[in-house]
Amino acid sequence: MQWRLILHPANDAFSNMAIDEALLRKGIPTLRFYTWKPSAISIGYFQCIEDEVNLEECKRQRVDVVRRITGGGAVYHDENGEITYSIVCPQNMLPQNIMDSYSIICSSIAHGLKYVGIKAEHAGINDIIVNDKKISGSAQTRRYGNVLQHGTILLKVNVKKMFSLLKVSKEKISDKQIKRAEERVTSIENEIGEISKEEVINAIMRGFREKMKIKFFEGKMDEKEKELAEKLRVKYESKEWNFKR
Amino acid sequence: MKVRNGILKGELKVKGGKLIKCEVKIKDGIIEKIKFSGDFFMHPEEKIEELEEKLKGVKIDDLQNILKSFFKKIQVIGVNKDDFLAVVMKAVKNS
Repeated sequence: MQWRLILHPANDAFSNMAIDEALLRKGIPTLRFYTWKPSAISIGYFQCIEDEVNLEECKRQRVDVVRRITGGGAVYHDENGEITYSIVCPQNMLPQNIMDSYSIICSSIAHGLKYVGIKAEHAGINDIIVNDKKISGSAQTRRYGNVLQHGTILLKVNVKKMFSLLKVSKEKISDKQIKRAEERVTSIENEIGEISKEEVINAIMRGFREKMKIKFFEGKMDEKEKELAEKLRVKYESKEWNFKR
Repeated sequence: MKVRNGILKGELKVKGGKLIKCEVKIKDGIIEKIKFSGDFFMHPEEKIEELEEKLKGVKIDDLQNILKSFFKKIQVIGVNKDDFLAVVMKAVKNS
């Protein structure tokens, strides 16, 4: 099976989430890589924006905030600090069991990261870890008979900035069983030093090719997807959507 | 913890690190308004709004049964289905 590979330049948060939803609605088997400009916070579908995000600080630092179509937690997407991927296909091309499908996608990425010298593995629900530290997180939704999984792979971590933008629940920080967040997260740069995004992307694609037996051709969004993304962007930019919980 | 307008808040941290929160307004043992939030996963996602709507006007004593039947067709990841009842009860106790 041939999958479409889309390499997108940096986009803002609203366009990025609109594109992912447009791809999901159409369901053409696709792997997309993208980045965020300006930096942004994305929150999970079920999260309360005011509980999670320091909105004033985001405004001051010109960081966009967007609600995702997928569940999970709040993520800081640094303009220069991460590679984001999204993968879309019809449901019948992945295991029906959601945990199994997380497993196949996350372990493909982890497998690929080995080719840049990072010993990564899938852990928990949808994390990828290196020596017990998280380097990638993902979230999945299933709609219209299709699956969308999107996630981040950290290139650099800026915990100080991240913490200035997010509100961390008191209960979560007070849990002494858990090490401090700074000590629980790593990045590609922490592990192997500086490397180009292209090299990382190539390694991840190799992971998918080998684990999922996927072949890629480089493609673009079609006109219908572009049109859909334009329309959906309005939703992702709206107060109604972002403040709905 | 009692907050403005008689809204009760509960928060429950689940093994594995996920968090579920609930805001509920109860009058004479009947739920007037309820909202769940957190970093869990529910499939399909929009069912959460359906649930919150369905729980309006429900007696707090009937909550367990209604949640049980609702969750039959819903998949939850990161938290347990029972945590939805537990977090409401936590909010109620906090009052």
